[in-house]
Amino acid sequence: MSTLSNPMSDRGARIANSVMLTIAGIIVITPTFWMVLSSFKQSFEVTAYPPTLLFTPTLENYATLSERTPFLSYALNSMIVTLGSTFLGLLFGAPAAFVASWTRVTWPAIVTLVARMAPGTLFLLPWYLMFRQFDMIGSYWSLILTHGVITMPIVIWVLLPFFDNIPRSIYEAAQVDGCSPAYVFWKIALPLVSSGLVVSTILAFVFSWNYFLFSLVLSNSDTKTLIAASFNFIGEGSTNWGGLMAAATLIALPPLVLATLVQRWLISGLTLGAVKG
Amino acid sequence: MRAHSQKHQLTALAAPSVIFCVAMIAFPIIYTVWISFQSTTPTGGMRFAGGGNYSRMVQDGQFWNGIWVTFYLYFLSLALQLFFGTWLALLLFNAKRLPGILRSLFISPFMMPPVVAGMMWIVILDPSLGVANYLLTSLGLPPSTWLASPALVVPTLALIDTWQWTPYVALIVLGGLQSLPPNVYEAAEIDGAPRWKKLTRITLPLLLPTLVTAMVLRSVDLLRFFDLIYITTQGGPADASLTLNIYGFRTGFEFFQLGYSGALMITLSTIVLGAVIVLNKLRQKVAW
Repeated sequence: MSTLSNPMSDRGARIANSVMLTIAGIIVITPTFWMVLSSFKQSFEVTAYPPTLLFTPTLENYATLSERTPFLSYALNSMIVTLGSTFLGLLFGAPAAFVASWTRVTWPAIVTLVARMAPGTLFLLPWYLMFRQFDMIGSYWSLILTHGVITMPIVIWVLLPFFDNIPRSIYEAAQVDGCSPAYVFWKIALPLVSSGLVVSTILAFVFSWNYFLFSLVLSNSDTKTLIAASFNFIGEGSTNWGGLMAAATLIALPPLVLATLVQRWLISGLTLGAVKG
Repeated sequence: MRAHSQKHQLTALAAPSVIFCVAMIAFPIIYTVWISFQSTTPTGGMRFAGGGNYSRMVQDGQFWNGIWVTFYLYFLSLALQLFFGTWLALLLFNAKRLPGILRSLFISPFMMPPVVAGMMWIVILDPSLGVANYLLTSLGLPPSTWLASPALVVPTLALIDTWQWTPYVALIVLGGLQSLPPNVYEAAEIDGAPRWKKLTRITLPLLLPTLVTAMVLRSVDLLRFFDLIYITTQGGPADASLTLNIYGFRTGFEFFQLGYSGALMITLSTIVLGAVIVLNKLRQKVAW
């Protein structure tokens, strides 16, 4: 765009741009890098002052994590709740998104945005009373159902534009052939939005995995998720930073790996369609 | 007849999600409104309290402290994230080529759980052994008490949240930049307008709708700021980071005053809704 501007100043601007971008990148990655680095340090090195950059890495922190804390059973709880609520979100959300796209009736989808806007405690108070009534506090079901409130809106809003992109003539042709809406949904529309299903599954998984508040109150010591158990690691961590950083690294790993896979759709998915990535 | 059964099938497909929304979202909200007019009896039951919780609220110093902390944290974080986010977006936009690894790097802060961000910053910002103070002192600056200081806890939380969410704002703004029509710069090119003038007179005004969208999305999260505070300070020291959301949660689930907690949550939800409505009005104003 610069046939008229000075080529020298253009080159200078490009270099300045690269330098500033590199600095920004370093600022973004350094804290995470420090976390991972600390998780491989031995206990005397992780609290060394001045802090050390060069050291002999050890897996000791990771190894002792499962000895000192029920890390593996927390991880299993996280998996059960996350997979359960992701499945629930898909089961309910995918047909809802299809119907919203077919009929152009979007108010049910808009209602789910309320869940995205309201503070979690607003829901937690009545849920707590309801689940206490049914003696469900501490059960996986209470966690899966409440995390469904996180996953279902994500599934609906991520899938909606994918369904909207299907040419309406396909629906109309199917109707002329006498196909029922359920058939169109299952046999025609769903296969056409398979990439949307992958994106919505991954985003629902990540947000359910990361969610803190509900399991903080609704889980018990047997069903506690990794995120809600973070407090235990911090209590432990006052003497054992290496273990704390190993736990933090492991908890962050699944969402980070999964998010990298769906980078292309990430922003439009996270903004629930408000921004095209 | 066929149209009739078709409608039935569509209803059946949407039914599970509608029932789920009513049971898990709509009904609980109405229930919370009801709870907010109740008070908890010593036996754990509920008793109608009229507007008692709300009149207690306006006389409660911790409530007003919560309002102050919420908005202080909100405006500070929002300003930092919009400024650095726009800046970072312009850097990314002007880069000739963007390696994919860089994009993965930039999404890593906001895709990790806020709780993990809290855990790692607790270690980095530790007043005596943390690496942050080591860097400050080696630059000849005085060490800071960060999250342990009532005066600094809100700016420190804003800084952590800014680290986590600036790349998100940047990627949103980058999307806005990429969708600007390229020909808007042509007249400015012919006039030989300087770079910064192109930025302030053309790019930023055209970006306003995208910026307002980013503001809406961040406002909804920032006004409800919870995870990071709860994992790091739980509202302390000396209530200096006790946002309305943290205060409401602790009232409900640590002190089990469910009615008062309900009133606080209804108030906070109204604030969030109000902010979204105001910002949506603003978005319509700046649309082009």
